[in-house]
Amino acid sequence: MRTDRELTPAELEAFGAELDALRERTLADLGEADARYIRRVRGAVRLCCTAGRVLLMFGWFPPTWLLGTLLLGLGKILENMELGHNVMHGQYDWMNDPEFNGQRYEWDIVGPSDFWRVTHNHLHHTYTNVIGKDDDIGYGLLRLFPEQRWKPFYRRQVLWATLQALLFQYAVAVQHVKLDKYFKGRIGKDEVQPLLRQMNAKILRQWAKDYLFFPLLALLIGANALAVLTGNLVANLMRNLWTFAVIFCGHFTEKAAVFPPEVLENESRGHWYLRQLRGSSNLEGGPLFHILTGNLSHQIEHHLYPDLPARRYAEMAREVRQIAARYGQEYNTGRMSRQIATVFRRIWVYRKPQAV
Amino acid sequence: MPFPSSSSADWLGPLRRLVADGWLRESSVDAWLGALRGHWRLNRTFARVRSLRWVAADMLAVRLKANRNWRGARPGQAVLVYGERNGVRLARCYSLTAVRGRNLELAIKRQPGGRFAEQLIDTLCPGDVLELGAPGGDLRWPQEAQGGVLLLAAGSGVTALYGLLNEALENGWRQPVWLLHAVRRREQRAFVPELQALMARYPNLQVRWLISGEPAGEGELRGRLQAEHLRELPAHSLLACGPHGFVQTALALWNAEPRAGTAQWEAFSPPPAGGEEGGATVRLDFARSGLRATGDSQRSLLEQAEAHGLKPKHGCRQGVCTECTCQLLEGRVRDLRSGREISEPGQPLRICVSAPLGDVRIDL
Repeated sequence: MRTDRELTPAELEAFGAELDALRERTLADLGEADARYIRRVRGAVRLCCTAGRVLLMFGWFPPTWLLGTLLLGLGKILENMELGHNVMHGQYDWMNDPEFNGQRYEWDIVGPSDFWRVTHNHLHHTYTNVIGKDDDIGYGLLRLFPEQRWKPFYRRQVLWATLQALLFQYAVAVQHVKLDKYFKGRIGKDEVQPLLRQMNAKILRQWAKDYLFFPLLALLIGANALAVLTGNLVANLMRNLWTFAVIFCGHFTEKAAVFPPEVLENESRGHWYLRQLRGSSNLEGGPLFHILTGNLSHQIEHHLYPDLPARRYAEMAREVRQIAARYGQEYNTGRMSRQIATVFRRIWVYRKPQAV
Repeated sequence: MPFPSSSSADWLGPLRRLVADGWLRESSVDAWLGALRGHWRLNRTFARVRSLRWVAADMLAVRLKANRNWRGARPGQAVLVYGERNGVRLARCYSLTAVRGRNLELAIKRQPGGRFAEQLIDTLCPGDVLELGAPGGDLRWPQEAQGGVLLLAAGSGVTALYGLLNEALENGWRQPVWLLHAVRRREQRAFVPELQALMARYPNLQVRWLISGEPAGEGELRGRLQAEHLRELPAHSLLACGPHGFVQTALALWNAEPRAGTAQWEAFSPPPAGGEEGGATVRLDFARSGLRATGDSQRSLLEQAEAHGLKPKHGCRQGVCTECTCQLLEGRVRDLRSGREISEPGQPLRICVSAPLGDVRIDL
């Protein structure tokens, strides 16, 4: 159980003001170091992906195939999390560089960036952890909180979660199409078809790149096409599993709070901050770990400041922890092994009906 | 040489299609092209610096060769030059003094205390690569003028007029033309040897300098622009270029008497801001929608755009999700949450939490 203190309206306003002040101070400090950093991340992505793909051209030879797949997977993880997710949040819009424009960036997964910008930037970050409004709670597949109404479908959710983890990039892609609403008859074909077309076009391009172009290139230069194709497949799988794990640790740990839809009515800025704090959970680790998670290990700071460059979250976390402590709020953090165990526990426990 | 260098860049066509359809990332293609030749890019216009020369104590003329994405321009037009300052890609407008195909010359004047020109002037070297924007500007030589042309310039305004003048004389303009360049200090007189050579070659040209801040030299005038300067020069058409205040004065003096010809002008600084307090009416220009309307400085730009029938893309309407981000083209806006002011042209702003401070033009 969480041990947060309930705040009076005055305290809530002061709480919001302190967090706002931290935001303004950080915004004023943005500059060359941040620009250099994101360019270095982009450089690292290019290096890992190129090196990985080149190594895979050496065929099944275990040292090169394993290293190649690992590097390609690493490149895809960095591109997805530290580069793509953060750029699309507009964290680097202030640079005015078209390469890092949040509205135009297209990331290297089957999900169209346009879909993500709506489901994630807009919906998830606005309605964070509000039952019935935040589609990320369970993604329509899983029951993770007793407040979610139980259905027999959830009995098999260990299987659904496993499938979702293996195919996570497809789960992300299809979320915006709202197929469950279509099958229930609540939205029509004319709404779903253009979305399907856009999604299928992106899937086609991604498949053509990873499963057609590079294997064919291997054939052309006399390399082993199957080794390349399999390497690409495993790299994509690596990225799916890692992103699934990190993202699920963000809002589904034991101490993550959910909220009823009523909180959204006339929600003050202070309460918005409070909801973001209580609904998010952090992961502890070293600097490399933070970069690999795209700094989503600082999920709390990310939810308080989604549009500030993620490299800033580590230093901001020091102050956020102090502010949380002073206002009697629990700061949900822990090692990944512990946090993810509580997530798995939720998937296991809430597959059966429960009194709230 | 694997790629043809003298024909047009048609070999980039397939790459452009692949990028437009989402198969390749433009930034990746540009990285490869830029590695091959510094100023090669797929769609963006970049130029290589060929030479630099000082044309005044505080003005540097830069000769550039643009890549094949350059669409052409006329002397007298201005072009945006991009540069990164503290992580931010800024842009400033500089007038073209000469254009010959893809070979351009522009002149940059020092701005003490400014963020852009100082660093550019101090660090620019031949071989450097600069990004350029699309050229713009409407100044044209009044070919139809029956009589002389008067060019009034102050400070960096001389760059646009020098460009027009040079081209006109080369193309056979033989009627009288007078150029009056107003500067504060004598060392700021620009293109002196070039203008003296033009005067020697074309007897219909007369150039005078007007020095306001120190004693004038031989043949130069002292003081600020006044009616008597115009009275002595019976011109048919006027071209005036310089800071806003100078241009206003020039136009006022010109219009004080009935004139037969046209008056063209370009102000290099914006008019002084004023009257943004208390919900004063402001002019809103939504450039991409082609809509000009009036509004106030209290409500957010999103609300005001919607009030005028536009349907801008938006999300949370709280300034968090960045869905409503657009570019500020001209003017100043205020962030409704923090009070912070944004006035740098080309910068992104979130219209759901930005209110105009004075007249604004946004890319919506």
